Amino acid sequence: MHGLDDRTIVHMDLDTFFVSVSRLQNSVLNNRPVLVGSSSDRGVVASCSYEARKFGVHSAMPMKLAKRLCPEAVIVRGDYEQYSYYSNIITEIINENTPVYEKTSIDEFYLDLTGMDRFFGCYQWATELRDKIQNETGLPISFGMSKNKTVSKVATGEAKPNGKKEVKRGTEKTFLGALHVNKIPMIGEKTSHLLRTMGVEKVKTLQEMPVELIENLLGQNGVLIWKKANGIDTSPVIPYSERKSISTEETFESDTTDIVQLRSVLIAMTEKLCFQMRKEEKLTSCITVKIRYSNFDTHTQQERIAYTSCDHTLIKKSVALFEKLYQRRMLIRLVGVRFSHLVQGGYQINLFEDSEEMIKLYQAMDRMRKKFGEDKVQRAVAAGLRKRTFNPFNGKNS
Amino acid sequence: MKFIVTSTALLKQLQMLSGVLNSSNTLPILDNYLFDIKNKELTLSASDLETAMTTRMAIEAKEEGVIAIPAKLLLDILKGLPEQPLTFSIDNKTLGIEISSDYGKYKLTGFNGDEFPKVPVMENTKSLVLQTDALSRAINKTFFATGNDDMRPVMGGVFFEINEDNLRLVATDSHKLVRYGRNDSGGEAASFIVPKKPLNLMRGSLGSLKTEVKIEYTHNNAKFTFDNVMLMCRLIDGKYPNYEAVIPVENPFKLTIDRLDLLNSIKRVSIFANKTTHQVRLKMGGSELHISAEDLDFANEAQERLTCTYTGDDMEIAFNSRFVQELLTNLDSENIYIEMRAPNRAGIIRPVENNDAAEDILMLVMPVMLNS
Repeated sequence: MHGLDDRTIVHMDLDTFFVSVSRLQNSVLNNRPVLVGSSSDRGVVASCSYEARKFGVHSAMPMKLAKRLCPEAVIVRGDYEQYSYYSNIITEIINENTPVYEKTSIDEFYLDLTGMDRFFGCYQWATELRDKIQNETGLPISFGMSKNKTVSKVATGEAKPNGKKEVKRGTEKTFLGALHVNKIPMIGEKTSHLLRTMGVEKVKTLQEMPVELIENLLGQNGVLIWKKANGIDTSPVIPYSERKSISTEETFESDTTDIVQLRSVLIAMTEKLCFQMRKEEKLTSCITVKIRYSNFDTHTQQERIAYTSCDHTLIKKSVALFEKLYQRRMLIRLVGVRFSHLVQGGYQINLFEDSEEMIKLYQAMDRMRKKFGEDKVQRAVAAGLRKRTFNPFNGKNS
Repeated sequence: MKFIVTSTALLKQLQMLSGVLNSSNTLPILDNYLFDIKNKELTLSASDLETAMTTRMAIEAKEEGVIAIPAKLLLDILKGLPEQPLTFSIDNKTLGIEISSDYGKYKLTGFNGDEFPKVPVMENTKSLVLQTDALSRAINKTFFATGNDDMRPVMGGVFFEINEDNLRLVATDSHKLVRYGRNDSGGEAASFIVPKKPLNLMRGSLGSLKTEVKIEYTHNNAKFTFDNVMLMCRLIDGKYPNYEAVIPVENPFKLTIDRLDLLNSIKRVSIFANKTTHQVRLKMGGSELHISAEDLDFANEAQERLTCTYTGDDMEIAFNSRFVQELLTNLDSENIYIEMRAPNRAGIIRPVENNDAAEDILMLVMPVMLNS
């Protein structure tokens, strides 16, 4: 058995994944600043190329600001289908080669290579895996290697773009110490600002601070940050598993109280998620509806139900939950639906409640959607709504 | 009042009645057995106001009388005694009970027997007489298919449909259904829904008895009388779903297969199915049946192949394996038919061999919707 300190963890991260995929499809985008996201004024940058980063653009920045910073950038709309297609290919390659891996997002993986050094050394092994991924997909990927997840992730950040970095055992503290505090995962803009006002700029200073001081300042999170800064991270690599929930949400172009529109958006979203569940042969037993008022107050309601993937049951539930939620006569900024507790399986047909015609209707609609596109058949109430297939903020379907 | 009874004989009767007792009762008197002595005969009763059961036994007694005795205490002491005569002496004024055994004396206090709820008198009853083994079989074949959904109480019971010359018991939970018919007995036409609890009591007390059962029924009560036992229950109020309408009539595709082979194969394959949905796929073509299951979360997978006789188009249909297993376990013929029409329509299972010509069994299971 290996102890926690003898582990070898590799963190792999695709460089500007959305941009790279777009470039595969369209070589005109090579060597030019590229922004991925919705071009509308309320959209945000989902990903941007290194060329665009030179202008100060970063992801999650409002598109309006990004355009002002870098007017010559090409704006590309995201194509989630393509992204998940490539992500799945990479997952497949990693799955074939790696004993244990964790997929933390569409373009990020942790690999536990503990014990693999008996071959040619883990670094050599990871390099070969990286080459293989690049050869088979044409996408640039970087990795960092060390004894735990945090240090490896930071190392990947340092290796980018399109590079690799190993932090040798015992050198974790020195490696981290030389970096700026905001390189530590968990330290966002706010914490970084707070630390800077205290004169903490380099991780080294953070390492030397007594842990109690940080705990007083940032609470339990502070202890975690301090541990990370010292290169201590015992979290395991959790094997990749099927996602257990699917969700979608929509932020309106302008805040609204139009109940009719809100209902149709909700119905359209539910219908779409239902189709996705049926396509992947999944069932849900928990439905959650979320609304956000214009003042960013966010409320959710959820309900446990019998396993199903049928529109007619779930639409009724989501509308009922929405009506329970929407109590204040206030402008709404966002609505969302989530199905969780997903399990693999087809819908169990009910002897008395489901007619043969209805089951056939679902199957016919699903076949049409698969053949001609998801938006070709839908309920009348949802027709005429603006089509959105991509939520630029989290890269998920909406 | 004083009487003498054999400990094990009394225990046997009381244990049969103990299924009626609820763990928590609104009326304290319902935590008791009612002892009623008349003409050297002891009538024992238990009730939960919905179900009442009585049984009779001969004893030695000089006086007559009634008393309610705390059930739990009595059962516990009887379980601790080997076979021997017990003397019960009851003080009618204080309701103090003294039980004398070979080992010593036990004292407890009873309740006034007149407070025990009376079994309602049924008026305008219709009736039917049936062999105990036939009724026992009918209940056993249908009981397992009843539902547990509080929202649909009618499915929590077994539907009795009685005609002049035949009798049908039907149970369904809306995913599977069993229709058990007999054409060797009948009665005045009526239909009613019997709750699970009295049926379960019947299952226990009918055992392997070889005698006749008399079923008497009104619109809200049913009474079963056999041997020395009487069981009466309130019926489930409500309309039973129109089960005939949902049993498909035309099922052109027919699979004939060894029941145990199929059952064992499904048992093995379903080990590798998803632990929540228990989904298995049946794919038939030619004279082969492929059974498969997978659990993507754990990369588990299983496939088996069985030979069968199949007439019909090649087809793939998926079921919750639990349902199919239950149905197959509750059949006893060597071979079965599975009749189908389409992957999204019910599968109908019938026995091929039939040892009892008067019997007609039909089982039905709804498939799960496949992504075609």
